[in-house]
Amino acid sequence: MLRKDHLRVSRAGGGYAPRFVDDADRPLAERLLETFRSHVGDRHGDLRTRLDELEADADDFKLVRGLASLLEREATFETRSPLPPQRARRKAFEAAETVGVATDSERERALEIAADGLGVEPAAVAESLYADREDEQVLVEFEPRWDAGPLLEQYNLSLAQTALFDATEVRVRSADPKRLVTATKRLGLLYELERTDAGRELVVTGPDALFRRTRRYGTAFARLLRSVAAAPEWRLTATIDDRGTERTMTLTDADVTVPGVEPLAEPAFDSGVEADFAGRFRSLDLDWTLVREPEPLETGTSVMIPDFAFEYDHADFRVFFEVMGFWTPEYVAKKLSQLESVESVDLLVAVDESLGVGEEIAAADHRVVTYSGSVRVKDVVDVLREYETELLADAAADLPEAIRPDEDVIELETLADRHGVGVDALSKPTFPDHERLGGTLVRPTVLADLEDRLEPGTSLEAAEDVLRSVGITETSPVLSRLGYRTEWNGLSGGTIRRLDGDEAS
Amino acid sequence: MTVRLRYDDGTIRIDADEPLPPLPGVTDDERTGDVRAAAFRYAAIRRALEVAGRSVDDAVLATEPLALSTAYDLRPYQREALDAWTDADRRGVVELPTGAGKTVVAIAAMADRDRPTLVVVPTIDLLEQWRSELEREFDVPIGQFGGGQQRREPITVSTYDSAYLKADDVGESFGLVVFDEVHHLGGEGYRDIARLLPAPERLGLTATFERPDGEHRAIEELVGPLVYAVDVDSLAGDHLAPYDVRRLEVDLTDDERERYERQQGVFVEYLRESGLTLTSGSDYRKLVKRSGRDPRAREALLAKQRAREIMMNAERKRDVLEGLLDRHREDRVIVFTAHTDLVYDLSERFLIPAITSETGAAERREILERFRDGTYSRVIAANVLDEGIDVPDANVAVVLSGSGSEREFTQRVGRVLRPKADGGRATVYELVTADTAEERVADRRR
Repeated sequence: MLRKDHLRVSRAGGGYAPRFVDDADRPLAERLLETFRSHVGDRHGDLRTRLDELEADADDFKLVRGLASLLEREATFETRSPLPPQRARRKAFEAAETVGVATDSERERALEIAADGLGVEPAAVAESLYADREDEQVLVEFEPRWDAGPLLEQYNLSLAQTALFDATEVRVRSADPKRLVTATKRLGLLYELERTDAGRELVVTGPDALFRRTRRYGTAFARLLRSVAAAPEWRLTATIDDRGTERTMTLTDADVTVPGVEPLAEPAFDSGVEADFAGRFRSLDLDWTLVREPEPLETGTSVMIPDFAFEYDHADFRVFFEVMGFWTPEYVAKKLSQLESVESVDLLVAVDESLGVGEEIAAADHRVVTYSGSVRVKDVVDVLREYETELLADAAADLPEAIRPDEDVIELETLADRHGVGVDALSKPTFPDHERLGGTLVRPTVLADLEDRLEPGTSLEAAEDVLRSVGITETSPVLSRLGYRTEWNGLSGGTIRRLDGDEAS
Repeated sequence: MTVRLRYDDGTIRIDADEPLPPLPGVTDDERTGDVRAAAFRYAAIRRALEVAGRSVDDAVLATEPLALSTAYDLRPYQREALDAWTDADRRGVVELPTGAGKTVVAIAAMADRDRPTLVVVPTIDLLEQWRSELEREFDVPIGQFGGGQQRREPITVSTYDSAYLKADDVGESFGLVVFDEVHHLGGEGYRDIARLLPAPERLGLTATFERPDGEHRAIEELVGPLVYAVDVDSLAGDHLAPYDVRRLEVDLTDDERERYERQQGVFVEYLRESGLTLTSGSDYRKLVKRSGRDPRAREALLAKQRAREIMMNAERKRDVLEGLLDRHREDRVIVFTAHTDLVYDLSERFLIPAITSETGAAERREILERFRDGTYSRVIAANVLDEGIDVPDANVAVVLSGSGSEREFTQRVGRVLRPKADGGRATVYELVTADTAEERVADRRR
């Protein structure tokens, strides 16, 4: 970000457009880099004088100052003096007090007394007095992270951020809305989603913006821009309070990019409650996958992005999950019914017992769980189980009466997945072409074939190999169906025998 | 039946099972699906709910009562000020001249209320001064926002800048807020401090409540009306030291005069060509605006700046100052000038400790302490010492360049209005460069 007085904007046609730099400004960037490089070892004041001269030559002094301010952050300045300046000052002022300095000769006497006390020459005291002032410091190192190209890129980002200082509201469309929502919440801002002709748009303001147009959140908007600009495609429209006049500024990915690779925002959670819950939920091995900040949902006039969604692994089904800090029973009921009617989605909410009337709400609807301190995973799993039961019942109801798979041999589990149901649901339909043996469906022709290939006295190992060759892994129900039992020989293996005796064939 | 109130980032969030009565400043919030008000409405909302006979579950403030006491024996007008504030539902502004003990009124109010309190002050120096005063008086740890520290305690002193940044984070922690030099709150940004704090009790302190821009009306809404005022004249003699103002004119040297006229000429020439007259503030703003794009306008402004520097830094002011320091060897002298570079220049020349915005907190404290305990008898300061800073027993002030603002002038004079041990008259010297724009500024204030 730049200082406000280095901001360059064009108000042509009543608009508000930052005056971005481009390749044409490259020579200036080069010249400034060179100026800093060539002043290593010089006083800061000398560098400033040289920069002032460049300003006088340039078309736009604010551009020179803005670029120089970015470069100054890459420079290291140090105090160089015979004595630590503060110590020299203290001694000189104390000495002056004993002398009572008005005239030049009194000044010299005071400096001599101070120098005596410090064991140095008077000149060393005089030289040290204010050597720590900014202009007196020495540029000892200049190692910029950028050359001219990235410097201009950084300038454009900084310029746009500075323009946002005066924003009272921003609207963003982004190819990466999740990152945007996460960053918005982290910065303490509030958002709504609005449907526009061009798609869904995030409208960002701060809590106090409800009562007055305020520039209070300008620095937060400026910080938000970093997250916005990290997306491949985006468009930001800001309402600017330009000294009392309202203007509109539009920025896109064509104007501003983030130079270098920025560390991405960590997957931040709004609160410890949510982070804690996510961690514990993921450690369980359930048929549900936890998703952070899923797609936005419409709730009548406004829109919400729930904290989580649970996606069911066996079907295209999700339950949204919101952890509510501040709430009222009416508010929760309204949210639930709105979502049900408008978006027809399922929402589960966890509400903080200490902040509302827990009992009323818990009795009202099974889709609400209460918590104090942390959300109990078990409560959530219980709700998910209810959904699972419903899902299974629904899926079973949709199954055909008779199922005729193409395979000669197929496991029920595979078949259940294919129909998007649990295995239990397959107890209802019939399998006219197959016989059901344990968890496997087998075509009668296969059984006939196996009958020919097996004979009593074969080792169990050899028999199982035969079954596996046709795709049967669950062997004992099949052997049993074919009339064999296993005679075990110790622990090592066995031999198959006729169920009805051990007669020779 | 119960209405629940919560504090949230500078706002009050409200909900109830039944429709709410009309409440001041309360609005539906589509973003969160409930209703909100700006935090400063808190007291009025509580009152409205009380009138409507609604029971309230109020979690806005998270404060515990304190046990504070003060050893101060209030002067009669300080007692009257405190009573007037109490009678006004503990919302309002007290106007007392510099040196009349505004701090004491606030300390008495805090001891009376025993509530966690935020004290907001305009400068680092006042921050230091209030903190040591409160530590001494109440014997509890005092928190501080500003001057490189961000530490919250039940009683905390903050600069206006830090309070602006932190108000929505710490609002629930304070039941009473004291605004020292409350006229600062009229500024557009600083108003947020008072808006975002829910503290029902508010005390403003100032030497000059009325602002020429009329923005004291905003302060009335946020802090309360002027509840008590006493002017310098009615206190002079009894409680304030009498003082003289002496104006000294300084001529430019021939060389300075020539450079001054040349720079001033560039400026005037540009004005003539561009048709600006500068009789109004809007013309000046126009010029500044143009200078962003038009190199000639910028050159004109720079010339004006150079002309001002020449007269501010006039060589002979040093000579006059040398004479004054010579004459007042036995006195305690504060020198003021608006220009930081000039402060350091004079500090080096006369070996006087300097305090400017560049001075670090530790060194600043050391210099002020040493001035108070008599180790130093002279100090030179840029405008950072403008307001309310407590420098006891200084009896000579030298003002090296005035800016024309009346408040600044009176408050600088206020520095030497402290009652003196020997009852001697204090003196303010005003050094003005003859026959320049600066002189006209000084004339205007008379």
